[in-house]
Amino acid sequence: MVHDIVAKALSEGRFKLLDYEAYELLEAYGIPTPGYRVASNYEEAIKAANEVGYPVAIKVISPDIMHKTDVGGVILNVNSDDEVKRACEEMNSSIKRLAPYARVSGFLIQHMVQGGLEVIVGGLRDRIFGTVILFGIGGILTELYKDTSMRIAPITEDDALSMIKETKAYQLMIGYRGMPRRDIYSLVDVIVKFSRLMIENPQISEADLNPVIMLENGKGSYAVDARFIIKPT
Amino acid sequence: MVIEEASEATSTGGKGIDVLFYPSSVAVIGATPKPGHVGYVIMSNLLSKFKGKVILVNPRYDSINGVKCYKSITEVNDEVDLAVVAVPAPVVPQVTADAVKKGVKALIIISGGFSEVGEEGRKLEDEVRAIVKNTPVRVLGPNCIGVYNADNGFDTFFLPEDRMGRPPNGPIALISQSGAVAAAILDWASRRRLGIGLAVNYGNKLDVNESELLEYLANNRNVKVITIYMEGLKYPGEGLRFLETARKVTQMKPVIVYKAGRTKASAGAVASHTAALAGDYEIYRGAFRQAGLIEANSVREMFDLAKALATQPLPRGRRVLVLTDSGGMGIQAVDTLSTLGLEVPELPETIQSMLRKFLPPLAIVRNPVDVTGSATDEYYKIVLDSILPTSYVDMALIVALMQIPGLTPNLVNYIIDAKRYGKPMVVVSFGGSAMMEKFNEALENNGIPVYATPDRGARALWALVEYSMIKKMLREEVE
Repeated sequence: MVHDIVAKALSEGRFKLLDYEAYELLEAYGIPTPGYRVASNYEEAIKAANEVGYPVAIKVISPDIMHKTDVGGVILNVNSDDEVKRACEEMNSSIKRLAPYARVSGFLIQHMVQGGLEVIVGGLRDRIFGTVILFGIGGILTELYKDTSMRIAPITEDDALSMIKETKAYQLMIGYRGMPRRDIYSLVDVIVKFSRLMIENPQISEADLNPVIMLENGKGSYAVDARFIIKPT
Repeated sequence: MVIEEASEATSTGGKGIDVLFYPSSVAVIGATPKPGHVGYVIMSNLLSKFKGKVILVNPRYDSINGVKCYKSITEVNDEVDLAVVAVPAPVVPQVTADAVKKGVKALIIISGGFSEVGEEGRKLEDEVRAIVKNTPVRVLGPNCIGVYNADNGFDTFFLPEDRMGRPPNGPIALISQSGAVAAAILDWASRRRLGIGLAVNYGNKLDVNESELLEYLANNRNVKVITIYMEGLKYPGEGLRFLETARKVTQMKPVIVYKAGRTKASAGAVASHTAALAGDYEIYRGAFRQAGLIEANSVREMFDLAKALATQPLPRGRRVLVLTDSGGMGIQAVDTLSTLGLEVPELPETIQSMLRKFLPPLAIVRNPVDVTGSATDEYYKIVLDSILPTSYVDMALIVALMQIPGLTPNLVNYIIDAKRYGKPMVVVSFGGSAMMEKFNEALENNGIPVYATPDRGARALWALVEYSMIKKMLREEVE
């Protein structure tokens, strides 16, 4: 049941899925991601930005770059055609300077989901328990507050809901101090599907969807960024 | 796919375990006349208490204290159900082979000196494993303290009675990863007359492991609540098996777990102590929640909760009547109850005005209902009878400080009488008088758990609510 994307990346000797591969994998498991396109130059990038809708995030696509932000490979909140062109040029020159060896195969243009609650959904393999699914508050607060909960995959909808309710982040979701109520059941859905993805692809040794952005009740949740670490089993 | 594998594994689990707890004849291999030795204590305990046949085995003696002693178990003519092995580790493979040849159904290997001490010991353990492989013979241990069964007096705990008291028969079972902790718990429980009818420690789990014991105890009709003391699982993949087993068992009866080795520092201590690799506590915690295990934070709390789960019906909701003769104790109860997500709802005006007619003017009737220091037994009766049968509350926490002059031992009867409303009740009783001791004992003998402080009573009610959730009588929902 291993997905082709994972098999292909392994056959190419890679240890990580590329961004668009990660999004494709998520989509294959029914986990919503913001609309995205792959562009090889700025003209295509502008077209792509208009298709997915502004504002967009632009991310470099390169098999050689592990940490995109360190080499200027991520530009957020791009709002117009002009800005897209400028961002692409900026990114090219920054990467030429900071990572001259890196092969750049193009840009990922992704619609930016606005104004949600950021949470993290992760997965890892444990010697005793097998596949462990983690949930917690997202962003920089994750590690500070350690507001996380864990369950063993495969997990049910009830498991997912109880792991959400176990965290303080849950209070933010149900409308803490006038904050809007978040779409909790769409997050349950993401967690359950992610658990299936981890079970069916044992070559993924670690993964996190960080952040998953939870929108207001009824509007769903989106996995905005995803990291999949793979290794042959 | 993973689920199928795990349930297939557990479906064969529990076979041949019964004889470990209920043998009809037992051979003590390593019986000895030397007081203080492990073989001596086990022999003496079995000879004096076990309601079955005891056979002594030791090649060095023809008889011990007037009882015939065999050179080898193979020389015994009668059937032997089970062999308890207390000989030095290097001899264990030989006596195991003899026992298998004799046709025993199971062995309890008390002896240490196996995988817990290193490579040499591991080899010995593999040898024993190879001997029982492809036979129906089940092995508990090695390096364990074995089994305590209050019902039939089968007891391999090698600690003399004057050092370790034995608890009375009762509905609580204990599975302990640590032998020493198990012994300490039984001693502690015996002083408190806490009914731990069955206890087992599995040591290095060469064959029988905690999952199988759990499954067995789930099907044992004498057991109402299972408690587990755990430091950490040991082998790859064991976690899933444990999770799948526990998930089934917790639908049958409540299981409470106390996991030691929670912090990084003590996790290290555990690893060197029992050769178990204590896992990351957060993962365990998640797995426990998922399996429907109720987690306790200490040994004492584990049995606080067990006592309630063994005796009380399950609540249909989270609303608690707090009935007290002390405002302070009532407040403490409310504090803990609300922290744990239980509710203490204000009673409706209709009920309040009715109560006011019967209670003294200073009494507070909102909930907590405070019958004050001038309370009499009858006040408690009035409140219980007028509120418990209504749909406003799901359970009761009753504080009865017996120091006040108006209360008499007869209060016990009123509280016991309120059991007919089918709602859980716990009593908080604190103090040191002989009358109070009697009061507590009378309640506990009649299936009403008593706690020394309001927070402990509150936590016991929380466990009942938790178990209602686990049994899906209450459903997980978004608020």
